[in-house]
This record gives sequence, structure tokens and C-alpha cells, in this order.
Amino acid sequence: MQFKNRWSKILLIGLIAGISIGMSSMAIAADTIKIGSLNDMTGATSDVGKDYALGIAEAIHYINDTGGINGKKIKLYQFDYGYRIPEALTKYSLFKRMKCAAILGWGTGDTEALAPTVAKDKIPYVSASYSGHLCDTTKTPYNLFFAPDYSTQVRGLMTVWFEKKWKQNKDFGKRKPRIAACYMFASPFSSSSIKAYKDQAKVLGFDVGPDQDVSLFAIDTKSQVLALKEFKPDVVLHTNTVMSVAATLRDSYALKLGADNIIKCWGFDENLPKLAGKAADGALGCSPWAFFGLDVPLMKEVTKYAKKYNPGIPPEKRTIHTVQAWASVLGLAEALKRADKAGDLSGEGILKKGFETFKDVDIGLGIAPVTYTPTDHRPQSEAKVYEWTGDKFVLFGSADMKKKWPEKWEKEWLGW
Amino acid sequence: MSTTFLPCGDYHQGYAEDHAWFQTKFIKGKMIALFLVLFVFIPISYWGSIFQSAFNIDNYWFSLIIRYISVFGADEYWISVFNMVGYTILGALGVQLLIGYCGQLTLGHGAFIAVGAYTSTLLILEFPWPEFMITLGLAYPVSIFIAGIMAGLFSVLFGLPSARVKGFYLILTTMAAQFILVDFVITQYVSQIGGRGQAFSLPPGTIKIGPWLIDNNYKVYFFMLILVILSCIIISNLVRTRVGRAWVAIRDNDISAEVMGINVIKYKLLAFFVAGFIGGITGSFWISNLAAISPEHFPWFLSLWLVGVILIGGVGSIHGAIFGSLFMVVIMELLQLAVIPLADTYPKLLMDFLFIKEATFGLAICGFLIFEPNGMAYRWWQIKNYFNLWPFSY
Repeated sequence: MQFKNRWSKILLIGLIAGISIGMSSMAIAADTIKIGSLNDMTGATSDVGKDYALGIAEAIHYINDTGGINGKKIKLYQFDYGYRIPEALTKYSLFKRMKCAAILGWGTGDTEALAPTVAKDKIPYVSASYSGHLCDTTKTPYNLFFAPDYSTQVRGLMTVWFEKKWKQNKDFGKRKPRIAACYMFASPFSSSSIKAYKDQAKVLGFDVGPDQDVSLFAIDTKSQVLALKEFKPDVVLHTNTVMSVAATLRDSYALKLGADNIIKCWGFDENLPKLAGKAADGALGCSPWAFFGLDVPLMKEVTKYAKKYNPGIPPEKRTIHTVQAWASVLGLAEALKRADKAGDLSGEGILKKGFETFKDVDIGLGIAPVTYTPTDHRPQSEAKVYEWTGDKFVLFGSADMKKKWPEKWEKEWLGW
Repeated sequence: MSTTFLPCGDYHQGYAEDHAWFQTKFIKGKMIALFLVLFVFIPISYWGSIFQSAFNIDNYWFSLIIRYISVFGADEYWISVFNMVGYTILGALGVQLLIGYCGQLTLGHGAFIAVGAYTSTLLILEFPWPEFMITLGLAYPVSIFIAGIMAGLFSVLFGLPSARVKGFYLILTTMAAQFILVDFVITQYVSQIGGRGQAFSLPPGTIKIGPWLIDNNYKVYFFMLILVILSCIIISNLVRTRVGRAWVAIRDNDISAEVMGINVIKYKLLAFFVAGFIGGITGSFWISNLAAISPEHFPWFLSLWLVGVILIGGVGSIHGAIFGSLFMVVIMELLQLAVIPLADTYPKLLMDFLFIKEATFGLAICGFLIFEPNGMAYRWWQIKNYFNLWPFSY
């Protein structure tokens, strides 16, 4: 009884002390800007989320070391939410309570669930979800990201494959190419570009095969690959993250499916060849940024900060997702700098005087220039396609959707 | 109810009094105080702003006073935390009914919440309501009721095996509900209705009850309070009547219950129906808070979490569901607030908080099973009796 009481007392005192410290530290220092960050280190997308999370923290250190936002320091509150949407909602209200100027978000499910609230609260939300739904400013005015949206990526991948691979096929001109998609039906992230995929198949004249449900956690996809074998696709589109894409590639290789593979950005990184081995040879993927360690502007800083703040992880284990995180942070910092110069660091100020003044802004890291307008939040129209040749990633081709289909780009494709 | 010890000189003189809600004036006073706290003091800043705009007061001192009063209430963050508590309470009440009162172990309750949420969403978005029902704002309230019925029917369907199996085997059959309903039916078919892909989002203005538009956290909070209170009334009325006694008899020993003439299967399925009904209401309540829905909102972990909630709160008690939810949600949030200042020295702490949270969840269950197997509700009962019987507590 005594033991129990003493422990409960200590616990209670500890808790109360902790809370009172917590409350008191809520006071805002004048010369810092608070940024909230939601990341996935443990959930369904943790295979790519860990590196992104590390990249966010390192990039914020870089911003603070190089003068901050016109002299103001950024204070980062970074949380792991395990890819659980209710968790993301409570974290969001915590960020709001802490008066964060902007939020760096993660997945498609939570970003889309939060979009109406974000718009109401006027907090700029830079996500790692590049879902096309987030580009329509009439619906989601405060959602932004730094990459071509998923729909543009998928359209670009299909176009590049059609122009460079299909035209060399012996059946070219004799029949329509056959395409099928592997993705997790339940995940808004995996399925967000499927509408664009089906539409682009019509535009280019593909035969569309049955969709295959591949879970983000999948390690065995033989039944899906066998189902595809009856359809005999020439090319398979993958829109999951690396772990399950690698599993699908391995199984299609083992079962001799014989189709080319085109992969959305989150399924195409340095880990893919490690996980899939020879099965990854010749895989095409959309990658808006340079791979980790390639020779592009600012990459030296990326590698330097990775070594400095996470010395425990060898550089060869770091991936492109760190670069992605840097792109998000650098883009946000640029917007904050512009808004701060205009003297308005409110949410609306950051959006109107920051992001929406971007016109062909080059943030380095091999990413194409970024433009936002008050009516269109699609930052880029060009999809860069890389190929894994067996020992390295090589730029295979690129397709600028805006140049190829200016009419449709302008009128039809916004908000997919 | 009759567990309350009455002051000297107060006696029950009939069954009605024995089962009355408020047995003494003091208890009635306490309950009124509780309602005042819930409806007035916690959302005081909301009332302040309503008052201000209703009388069109644009006075500096007045708004200053309002701001000082609001300090004592909950700000929007805490209101959203309380909404989370309410969601957990509504979910846990169904689990409590099944596990705590009827003894039917279930690990698939999240699926019925999902059924409710999807039924309600689809009814709002796709059903051709007659014009007057939309203008009167009846679409959402009616959809809540239908969502409850739907979820109840599905719950009965997955409760059917309880006629033959019990214990661990029943856990497995109820788990099937998660995989069949959420992972298969909802993701593969239901989510595709209307060509919406996976995620449904409810346009602003669609969630309203009569003329009352539910569009901010405070309104969700009031709506949640009303639903929680109604559900508590329904369940506590059920468990103190013939139905509830039959459930308890089945829980304690189903063979003797049958010998005594209770139709075991009927009452088990009734328990599944009521639990599913409340699950459906939980789901359709939750969409008012989210305004968006996808199958990812209803992982299997949700069902497990709800069982954890009633283990901590106390099995077989309505108080238990409430205390458990408060503990699991509020304590975790407090823990998080406590961690934030420490993050200045240990930056890893924020990122690892999910581990801390999960570990605390497990530890709390272990701790309660070891030190207080009857849960927080029993502790509450003891504390209450200590004061009721003081100073002669023998």
C-alpha cells in the first residue's frame, strides 16, 4: 500500500511539474517563427517517411544557420503521427494552439482531411502529398507543395514511356499498348492519380487492364501478378511507396510478367534497387529532384548537414526523400522571407505575399522552377523521368504537360 | 443506482425510488453543477463571443472581461481534445455493453463505426432527399438514425456466430468484421460510389441539424455532449431493466441463464444490435468533426484501443467507459504538453512521442490489471463512498 502511494505521488508530482513547465513555455518569443511538422516514422509510409523527417530537421538547421528568415529563427515542432488520421487532427489543433505560422505536412489522407480546416484557419500547409486535388485554389487555397502533382507525374510517365519505349516495340502501330496499375485501393495517396491515369490512357490510346490492389505493407504480390499475366500488359504503373513497389517488381520478375515498370515518385528511390535487385533494372520513375549526392546546386549542404546532425546514418543509406524534404523547407523559407519583407507574417500574408508571388523561382536541388498563381497551385508542369540502369539513375526523358496539351492543362486538368 | 449510500434518515419506499436517477437533492445539485460545467464553463469563450455578437457590443472593457473569463474555459485546442474524448466515449459505450454487460468479447467494433460513418456520408451526398428535407436541415439527423440501424444490423450479422462460439473464438469472428467490412466492402466497393475514388469529403454546409449548422469545434462539442448524454441514458436504462438483467445473467453464466428461461441467442443478438447502433451513431457523429472520410480512418487498432479504454476505465460500468476515455485521451495530451519543453534539450523526444504514447497505453493497461483490475470506475466508487460514509466508514 505504502509503495503504491509513494509511486503514485511521485508520478503525480512529475506530471504536474511537466505540465506546468509545458504551459509556461507556450509563451512566444518575438523573434522566432514557429513551424509545425507532421511526419511518419512508424506507420504505413515509414519506408520513405523516415528520411523525409530527418531531412526536414536538417534543412531547418540549415535555414537557421544561414541567417534564418531575415534574422528571425525558425522553431520546429516535429511530430511522428504514425500515418494515423485522428492523430494528425489532434496534432494539427496543437500546432494551431502553439500559433505555428505554417505547417509541413505529410500524407495525402490527412492533408486532404485537413484541407477544409486549414483553409478556414488560414494556415499555409506545405505537404509531402503531391495530390492533384490540392492544386485547385477554389477548394484548397492554403495547400501547397514543391513537385509536379501526382496526376502530372503519371501523365508524364505514360507519355515518356509511350514516346521512347513503345515506339521501339515491334508491335508499335499494330495494336494498342496494354497498361495496368498496381496500388492500394484503400489509400487516398496511392489512388489519387488513378483518375488521371485512366484519362491519359484514353488520350494516348492505351488498353487499360484490371487494377490490382497491392497494400502498402505488401510483401507478397504473386496473386496480383498472376492476375496481370492473363492481361499481358506492356507496362505496369505503380503508385505505392518503395516497399510494396519493390515486392511487386520482384514478383513480376520471378513470374516473368515481362512488362516495363513506371513508378510514381514515392516508389522510386535509392532503396528500390536494393530491395528489388535485378528486378529493378530498366524501371522508369518520376523524380522531380536530384538523387541524394548528385552534383546539383545546394546538394553539398544537404550532404554536409546529413553528416552533421545524423552521423549515425551513413550517407549511402540516405535517399532522395531527404532532398525532397529540403525542397519543401527551402520553398517555405523563401515564402516566409518574402512575406516577412512585406511585413505580414500572418497565414494570409504568407500565402498572398509569399507563395503566390513565386514566378519561376529556382530553389536548387535540381528541381524545376516553381510558379504559383492565385488561381493555380500546380507548381510545375514538367515530369522528369529517370531510369535505373542497373548501377545508377540516369535521366531518361521528360515531358512538359503544359507544353504538350496547353488547352487541357489550362482548363480540364486543374484539381485532379 | 442503488449502490449510492443514503444519508441517515433517508429511506427508499418503493422500487421507483430505488431506481430513481437523482436520489437526493444533493445528488441532483451535483448533476446540475456537472451540466453547468459541461455546457457553460468549459465552452465559456464560445458563449462570450455569442453574447458579444448578439448584443452587438463593441466595448473595449467588455471584450477584455470576456477574454479574462475565457481563460478559465477551454480554448479551441482543448475543445478538440474533448471532442476526441466524446468520440472515444461513444465508441467505448458499445464495447462496454458487449464486453462489460453481456460478456461477448469483441474486437471488431471499429468496423461498425465505419459502417455508420459511411452510411451517413453516403446518405448526405448521394441520396435524393426531397427538397423540403434539405431546406429544413433534416438530412443529417435522419442519416444518423439510419446509420445507427445499418451498423446495428451489420453488428447482428457478425454477432450471429456468438450463438455457437464464445471467448477467444468470438474475438476471431468479430475481427472478421474489420477485414470484411472495412478492408473489403468499404474500400473496394462503397468508396467507389459516385466515382469519388477513396476519400469522401463533405462540402461545408451539408452537416446541419435543422437550422443549426455544425461548422466549428464548439458546435461539434455541444453535439457530442448531447449524443453522449442520450447514449448514456439509453444504455443505463437498458441495463437496469429486464433486458439488462438478462445480459448480466448471460455474462455471468450463460448456461444458468438459459436454464432460467432467458432466450440466450435473442438477448446476445440484441446486445450486438444496440452496440452496433451506438457504433453507427459514433461514426456519423465523427464525420461532423472531420468533414472528410476515408477507410484509413478506421484501422483495426481502433477496436483494440476501445477495448483498452474499457479495461482501464472499468469493465461493466458506464462510468468506466467515460473515465477510460478521459484517461486515454486527456492524459496522453497532457503527457505531450509535458514533453514539448523537454524537446529543447532532447529534440528526438517529439518525434518519438508516438512510441511513448503507445508504450504508455500498454503500460497503463498492465498497471490497471495489476493494481486496479476493476478499473477507474471502481476507484471512483470507493472515493465517493469514503466521503458519503465519512467519518464512520465501517
